[in-house]
Amino acid sequence: MRHEIMARPAATVLKVNLDQGESLTCEVGAMIAMSSGITVETTSRQRGGSGGIMKGLKRMFSGESFFLNHFTAQQPNQTIYLGPSLMGDVMSHPLDSATLIVQGSSWLASDPGIVIDTSWQGFGKALFSGESMFWVKCSGTGNLFVNSFGAIYEVDVNGHYTVDTGHIVAFEDSLTFKIGKAGQSLIGSFLGGEGLVCKFEGQGKLFCQSHNPPSFGKLLGPKLRPR
Amino acid sequence: MATVESMTSDVPFEITQRPDFALLTVQLEQGQKIYSEPSVMASMSPTILMKAGMKGGFKKTLGRMLGGESLIINTFTAQDGPGEVVFAPGTPGDLVHYHLDNNTLYMQRGAFLSYTDGVDLTGKWQGAKGFFSGEGLVLLKASGNGDIFFNSYGAILEIDVTNEYIVDTSYIVAFEDTLDYRVTILEGMKLGGKLKSFFFGGEGLVCKFSGQGKIWIQTRAVNPFLSWVYPFRPTKNN
Repeated sequence: MRHEIMARPAATVLKVNLDQGESLTCEVGAMIAMSSGITVETTSRQRGGSGGIMKGLKRMFSGESFFLNHFTAQQPNQTIYLGPSLMGDVMSHPLDSATLIVQGSSWLASDPGIVIDTSWQGFGKALFSGESMFWVKCSGTGNLFVNSFGAIYEVDVNGHYTVDTGHIVAFEDSLTFKIGKAGQSLIGSFLGGEGLVCKFEGQGKLFCQSHNPPSFGKLLGPKLRPR
Repeated sequence: MATVESMTSDVPFEITQRPDFALLTVQLEQGQKIYSEPSVMASMSPTILMKAGMKGGFKKTLGRMLGGESLIINTFTAQDGPGEVVFAPGTPGDLVHYHLDNNTLYMQRGAFLSYTDGVDLTGKWQGAKGFFSGEGLVLLKASGNGDIFFNSYGAILEIDVTNEYIVDTSYIVAFEDTLDYRVTILEGMKLGGKLKSFFFGGEGLVCKFSGQGKIWIQTRAVNPFLSWVYPFRPTKNN
C-alpha cells in the first residue's frame, strides 16, 4: 500500500494505491473518488469485532455515529482519494505494535492491521457530552491517517503539558492525563474562553491542531437561522 | 503549487495563489472581451467596461439557470485601451484553465468562472440522471473554440480516466464529454437489492465514468461542511 498526501496544508487530500486484495478502513463520507475495481462494505465496527448495524445505529442516534467503510481492491493497481470535511491537513502515522488515541473527527483512515476501538472513554463520558467529542483508540501495526482542522503541530511531551481539549488531534497512550480547568477558578477559566483543558503527564507524542472545531462551530451557529 | 500561465490561450492569463486562494488575472487588448459569472470580479483597470446581461438569448439563459448558474453573464470589454481584470471565485479554492478546441466540457453547477469569445455555455437538462441525483449533478455544458476557467472549493485534482472511475457527485468539478457517465449507488452498498449501507455509508451517490478522458475533482465539498455546521445552529425555542 503506497500513499501520497497532496494539496497541503489547507485542502489536503490523501491518495492511496491499493493492490489486489489490499484494503483500507475509512471514516464514512471520506471517499472522494476511486477506481472502479474497489468494493466497499460498511460496518459499524472493525470487522470481526462485536457491534453490528443495530448497535451502530444506537450509537449514531446517541450522537456517536461510528460507521466504518472498508474499501478492498479486487483488481491490481487501484487508487482511492480521501478527504475530510473541514479545511485542514492530513498526516500519516505508522504504528508498530503501538497505540494512539485519536479524537473521533480526526480519524480518517487506517490499515486493516489496526484495531479501531470506539468505546474508549478515558476522558469520562459525561464531561464531553456537551462538546460532542468522542475518541478512537487505534492499536496494532500499520499506517494510520489522521486529519486536522487547520495545521497539525507535534509536541514531544516530557513531563507536564496542557492542551485545550478542542485542539487535540491524537496522542500516544504512554501519556497519562487529567481533565482540568485552565485558570485558577472554574468561572475564570470559562470567562477566559479556555473551558476545559487536558493536562498530560509522562513521555510521549502529542499532536495538536491549530484551530478548534467547536469554537468555529459556536462562532457560526448563532449567525444562522434556528433549525 | 505553481502559478499557471498561459501559453496557448487566446487571452494572456495568470492563475496565482493556488491551491487555496486561487485568483485569475487576464490581460485584454483593446476591444477584447471576457465573460464571467456575476460578482466574481475582484478588481480591474479603468480601461475596462463591465456590462451585465442575459447573454445568448432567452433559451440559453434558461438553460444556464437550470444548470444552477445565474441568469446574468457579465461582459468585460477593454473599451478605452488594454487592461487587466482579476477574477476571484466565491469559495476559497483552486482554479483550472481549459482550452476548448471544438469539443465539449461539462461542469458541475457553480464551478464555472469565466470564458472567452468562441465558447458557448448552456445548461444541460439531465433528465433521469439529474433528477435521481437531486442536487448532486446539474451540469453546465461548454462547447466551441476558446478558453474556459472553472473553480472549486478546495484543491482541484486531475484524473486521467482510461477505463472506469467512480467519483462522489459532490466532488465532481468538470469532465470531458468523451467520457460516459452514470449516476449510481456504490456497489456493495446494496445488499439483496436493498439499500443497506447507502444510508449509513454516507458516500451518497456516485458518478461512474467510463471511457477515455479527463475528470477534475475537488478535495473539499460544500455539503459535508454544511452538515458539519448544522448541529451548531440554535434550536427554536418553542
